[in-house]
Amino acid sequence: MEEKEQINQVGNDEQQEKEAYGAEDIKILKGLSAVRKRPAMYIGSTGPEGLYHLVYEVVDNSVDESLAGFCKNIEVMLHHDGSCTVIDDGRGIPTDQHPGDPEGRTAAEIALTELHAGGKFESKAYKISGGLHGVGVSVVNALSEWLDVEIKQNGKVFQQHFDRGKPSGPLTIVGKTKSRGTKITFKPDAEIFEETTEFSYDILSQRLREMAFLNSGLKVSIHDERTDKTQEFHYKGGIVSFVEHLNKNKTSLHPKPVYISGEKDGITAEIALQYNDAYTENIFTFANNINTKEGGTHLIGFKSALTRTANSYATSSGVLKNGKDAALSGEDIREGLTAVISVKLPNPQFEGQTKMKLGNSEVKGIVESIVNETLGAYFEENPSVARKVIEKAVQAARAREAARKARELTRRKGALEDTGLPGKLADCSEKDAALSEIFIVEGDSAGGSAKQGRDRRTQAILPLRGKILNVEKARFDKMLASEEIRILITALGTSVGTEDFDINKIRYHKVILMTDADVDGAHIRTLLLTFFYRQMPQVIENGYLYIAQPPLFKVKKGRTEKYVQNETEMQNMLFELAADDLDMPVRGQAVKGKALIPHLKRLSKFEKLIEWFSRRRKDPNVLRLILKAGVNKEILKSQKAVERLSALIQKEVPNITAGEVNSDEEHQAYSVEIRRHNNKILVDTNFLSSPEFKELENLYGIIKDLGEPPYKAETKEGLKELNSSAELLEHVFAVAKKGLTIQRYKGLGEMNPTQLWETTMDSEKRTLLQVTIQDSVQADEIFTILMGDQVEPRKDFITKHALEARNIDI
Amino acid sequence: MKIICPICKKTTTWEENAWRPFCSEKCKLIDLGKWVLEEYRIPDEKTGEKEKGETTKD
Repeated sequence: MEEKEQINQVGNDEQQEKEAYGAEDIKILKGLSAVRKRPAMYIGSTGPEGLYHLVYEVVDNSVDESLAGFCKNIEVMLHHDGSCTVIDDGRGIPTDQHPGDPEGRTAAEIALTELHAGGKFESKAYKISGGLHGVGVSVVNALSEWLDVEIKQNGKVFQQHFDRGKPSGPLTIVGKTKSRGTKITFKPDAEIFEETTEFSYDILSQRLREMAFLNSGLKVSIHDERTDKTQEFHYKGGIVSFVEHLNKNKTSLHPKPVYISGEKDGITAEIALQYNDAYTENIFTFANNINTKEGGTHLIGFKSALTRTANSYATSSGVLKNGKDAALSGEDIREGLTAVISVKLPNPQFEGQTKMKLGNSEVKGIVESIVNETLGAYFEENPSVARKVIEKAVQAARAREAARKARELTRRKGALEDTGLPGKLADCSEKDAALSEIFIVEGDSAGGSAKQGRDRRTQAILPLRGKILNVEKARFDKMLASEEIRILITALGTSVGTEDFDINKIRYHKVILMTDADVDGAHIRTLLLTFFYRQMPQVIENGYLYIAQPPLFKVKKGRTEKYVQNETEMQNMLFELAADDLDMPVRGQAVKGKALIPHLKRLSKFEKLIEWFSRRRKDPNVLRLILKAGVNKEILKSQKAVERLSALIQKEVPNITAGEVNSDEEHQAYSVEIRRHNNKILVDTNFLSSPEFKELENLYGIIKDLGEPPYKAETKEGLKELNSSAELLEHVFAVAKKGLTIQRYKGLGEMNPTQLWETTMDSEKRTLLQVTIQDSVQADEIFTILMGDQVEPRKDFITKHALEARNIDI
Repeated sequence: MKIICPICKKTTTWEENAWRPFCSEKCKLIDLGKWVLEEYRIPDEKTGEKEKGETTKD
């Protein structure tokens, strides 16, 4: 046999003992055919996971060569026919004859055909080895339709071919070479891998990237011939680069990962860690390059050292007061932590169901002492990083504490309530949530009325009070007391929080907020809406949340009472009443009854707009005169016409100061400023073309229709003459309100139980406003502004809304 | 729907977000803690007295 020459040559070459990876390192264990019978026992499964296992097994062998210091490049290729090639530039599988083999086979052939045959079983050849659980490349061979091996060693190229694990001939020298290494090409056997034999580029490239991170300096490339995709992974930074890669799209708390490494008793440990501003913990652990997804002793050692070091720094730096603050928990300290732990050791023991947990007990203490020493020193040298890490942990601890309190809150039951329901709740007798409603009523007195007025079969009442805190002299903060929140949550039955909340347990499918129509009521409503939006958005999504619409007015005429919902409705009613009684000339014709209503509405709109201008310091008399004179943009083109207008205004309206007629070059026109008392109008093109003035011009039609003052208005009680349109409108309201008592409700408490039932609670008559997500997003925005630290936006908001509130008064 | 997490102000989505309107479980818990610890207060700078209901008679 040709190989025999080779074997002797290599075997006698003693110049580098370490490099002598010879036949005697291979132990023979028989039973490869068992692999094909029960493949899952060796590679976990015959599904996709098992399929990838084949590649990892071969790659791991090359990585082991790299760990031993003999391999720098690994190349993986995926071919069109579904086969896969792995090439390395290591020493090559030994090609010499195995001394203990009675059949005289080469070590390479034995490694490829004998189960559990490999250099890994004695740590002389490989001090450290991954080779997933050491099943060896023979398993790959056994489970492949065919496998080709090419070994370049000592200037020669060897080849051997296998079909389903059986060699088609001996290892043969086919040529000469100057390079070295092993190349294995195999095609997974479709008889074994029934589900799929197709490799996914993405899955493989991810694992190969991991390999490159874990073995700094090792170059791993992947090429997919099916798609021509190629990637090369080469990280000089090793696991530091890995951590940077994991934190790529995150905001780091410190620019560079912390790197810790050390060696003890032949075990090396490497750790890289970096904090980001997220809340999740992301720790990857490896033992001999194997991803120990279930952790193990290396992870335990790291965690305990991290907790200890962080706490001792927190105490010594004064962030935590010794004896006063509770120690930071490990979980709090690991919030936002990204870390990679990689240990390398001679005899790894893997435990757990998936064999992905490192079991070697000696590793814990070694990792622990390395981290304790290095991290403690790092914190001392980088106080700004240390402080950020500790502060984040303190914040996490506070959040955890808050969550615990929240849980306590909802689980605690009142001592005297055997139903578990709050005493303040007046529940309904109906048990079907779909038919039940709950009114959350502001204030105890309104709550009392609601309890008396309700339909106790289907309507439950929960009185709720906003808590008021006197913060400064003239400042009262409003909030929901935690006890009130507890009662609310208990009454709803859903519980609260991220684990306990269950919308299916809600006891009412209509949750109706009923608050006063004043600022306090609006604040409590905003607080409640925000609470629902943030902590129980499902209540809103399911359409369970409503706002009651109590009337704003009660109108009494003789013995009849009427509730009026809002301002618009009120005004319409007044116009109807006035039209019943009034007789007025419009365009010279007497109009009365229903026909009069549109004219009255226009008149009211006109006067409202005049008032709006008046609030903005535009004199009403001047405005009326401008409208009467029919001033428009065209008139402003002539200087003479503007002068005439100025003179007319001065003549007709007392106390006028008119400015010079100026040229308005931008509009090729003229302008004049008219002052009266503190008011001023700059009559120019901009003013006359503003939407508000145009609307006023439009509405002025009604004044033209009414003719010249005095305006005549006739009722049964006789004829009345009025000198201005404002007076006329006032008279119209006076006519309408004759004999009426109008009561404006500011609080629910002003209604008695019957009134509250009739106007707001009776499902036959009431109107409810269903709260949508959009409404609640808005409520949250208002809440955020009201709560905000920024004083300006809050003041703006309050002023704006106060103005609006003023305007809605009739 | 894009929304802003009320706690950390990161942009997140409403759909397929178990912690909506928050970005994470942690933010939702922090918010709950603030309700429970009564940290949410609406400051109300009062000007003058509250008006009572008025009656108009003619």
